[in-house]
Amino acid sequence: MAEIVLETKELKKVYGTQVKTQVLHGIDLAVRKGEFASIIGYSGSGKSTLLNILGALDKPTSGQVLFRGMDFGKMTENDLAAFRNENLGFIFQFHHLLPEFTALENVLIPTWIRGGRGRGKDVKKAKELLDLVGLSEFLNKKSTNLSGGQQQRVAIARALVNEPALLLGDEPTGNLDSDTTDQIYGLFRTINEELGTTLLIVTHNDHIAAKSDRVVELTDGKVSRDYSNLELGAEDAFRQVAPVYCKFCPHQPAHGGQSHLL
Amino acid sequence: MGFEWKVALRFLKEGRGQTLFILLGIAVGVSVQVFLNTLITGLQDNLIDQTVGTSPHVWVSGRNGFQETPLEASNVIRGNFLEKDTDLGGWEVVEQVLEERKDLTAVSPVAEGSGNLVKGGLAVPVLLRGIDLEKADGIYRISGRMVSGSPSLEGNQVLVGLDLARENEIGTGDVVQVALPDGSSQSFTVSGIFDLGNGTLNGSWIFLDLGRAQRLFGLGDRISKIELQVADVFQAEAVADSVEGRLEGVLAENWIESNASLLSALQSQGSSSLLIQVFVLLAITLGISSVLAVSVVQKSKQLGILKAMGARNASASRIFLYQGALLGIGGALLGIGLGIGLIRMFLWGTAIQTGVPLFPLDPTLESMAVIGAIATVASTLAALLPAKRSSKLNPVEVIRNG
Repeated sequence: MAEIVLETKELKKVYGTQVKTQVLHGIDLAVRKGEFASIIGYSGSGKSTLLNILGALDKPTSGQVLFRGMDFGKMTENDLAAFRNENLGFIFQFHHLLPEFTALENVLIPTWIRGGRGRGKDVKKAKELLDLVGLSEFLNKKSTNLSGGQQQRVAIARALVNEPALLLGDEPTGNLDSDTTDQIYGLFRTINEELGTTLLIVTHNDHIAAKSDRVVELTDGKVSRDYSNLELGAEDAFRQVAPVYCKFCPHQPAHGGQSHLL
Repeated sequence: MGFEWKVALRFLKEGRGQTLFILLGIAVGVSVQVFLNTLITGLQDNLIDQTVGTSPHVWVSGRNGFQETPLEASNVIRGNFLEKDTDLGGWEVVEQVLEERKDLTAVSPVAEGSGNLVKGGLAVPVLLRGIDLEKADGIYRISGRMVSGSPSLEGNQVLVGLDLARENEIGTGDVVQVALPDGSSQSFTVSGIFDLGNGTLNGSWIFLDLGRAQRLFGLGDRISKIELQVADVFQAEAVADSVEGRLEGVLAENWIESNASLLSALQSQGSSSLLIQVFVLLAITLGISSVLAVSVVQKSKQLGILKAMGARNASASRIFLYQGALLGIGGALLGIGLGIGLIRMFLWGTAIQTGVPLFPLDPTLESMAVIGAIATVASTLAALLPAKRSSKLNPVEVIRNG
């Protein structure tokens, strides 16, 4: 078994001080190195909250998050910022590129924050990544002049530039059409296999969930299912996730069915 | 260059219209400050120059007890009037002490007395001023203000004021008769005619050699007073006090005492100008602060992303502080340029009719640097509040809301 990269113990999150809303009810989760895992669940099940806590953007009300044994709770704000910069890559639903900068500059920003001067090695790395996501012709275009899919690919390159151990995605294809979603999935797979990056993706997309290695389903702030797709066939894997997204057609794939199964 | 600078610069560059407007806002404010400052300074300098530019700022005379021969030097009856004796004995020592001071620009001993110029049966009262021409030039610039003849005081040569010469039809080379208080009469050769730019002085002053004046007025080796010009005219009072403190038995008077109303006018002018400048600065600061505050809201998404990617809270703050500083520096430079333009226009405008500007305006590098520096510091401070907001921004909220 590969080493555990990220681990949570009894993770709880309560929002609000007067009217309290408990979003996470004790999550125990362990993510191993090299895993490509999806987190699925209905809206409000706590997926994004969990991901933000795992990404050191938000703090749990109680419980622990450990990254290679390092406890987030014992790190200062600045430690956490440096940690995010060096070990994590984020991909959001809305690409969240900085419109003031070009594609290449956007990819370089995490290296600037790390203290790099934007020269030599970093630029080479950024260009390689943009090449990997198929955008080597768009280096110097402002991000606002790129299509949605292109922007999301720039965001993926940006998430990878500091060679993070863990890539976190919060509905990274939520805003894209199905063809582009396929491309992005392909990229995730490439990154996972070629760079050995661990991926943890919150997704509403049955397609991506079905094709990831592992699926963690949250229901009302608890892990309701946690299984591996590796032993299942493609169709079975899809049947497993479909009901989450299609309440009224438990045995039919959502979004037009079989055509999504590649 | 840290990444905060890169981001700050880019934010400004991409917010073109907004950046341009705030830059112009600062520039206009700074230009008003530069112009106003130069105008007020020029006006004051001009007024002061006209008032005391070519007259002594401090004059040192004797006080009871300083004289080498005190018995002789008490109140002396001369003719039929009582004269309080303020003559300065041992003045060479005093002069030497004064010449060593760095805050004085001219030291000129004077031996003076009154007399009557006798011409065609008329007697015109005159003031005979015995001077060392070279030293007196430091104050009156006589040599440079000759209307005719040459500035020479050798033998029995004298220099006569322009109005006095004109009214009495005296020309260079003429011999004039002057009746002295002791009843004697003395004849002088007029070597030149001067114009000090002041009707009273031009109408009554006659310059002659210091030693000769001492003999004519029976002063012996004493003189009437030592006249001084000080480097900073507003320090005249302090200089006078320190001269009195240093030299026992002398009386040092200064121009400030005799021009109190002019000074208070200048002072109130100066302070109202300062007040205007403070309000201009306040307006600039508030302008920048509000523009940057809006900018924090506009850029909150970008800041959230930067933070998610590992930018520290302090870095997020710095991005806005740097924007404030950059706006300040840019606006100040632009404003100084504009200010110089305004000054040029003023000089040109006031010179249309006469060909000579109303009064000289000379913006000093120093004052412009100070104004620019203050604007830059104020702009940076104006960014403090926005910077704090930027630091407190929670990335999760930005990301969650798309």
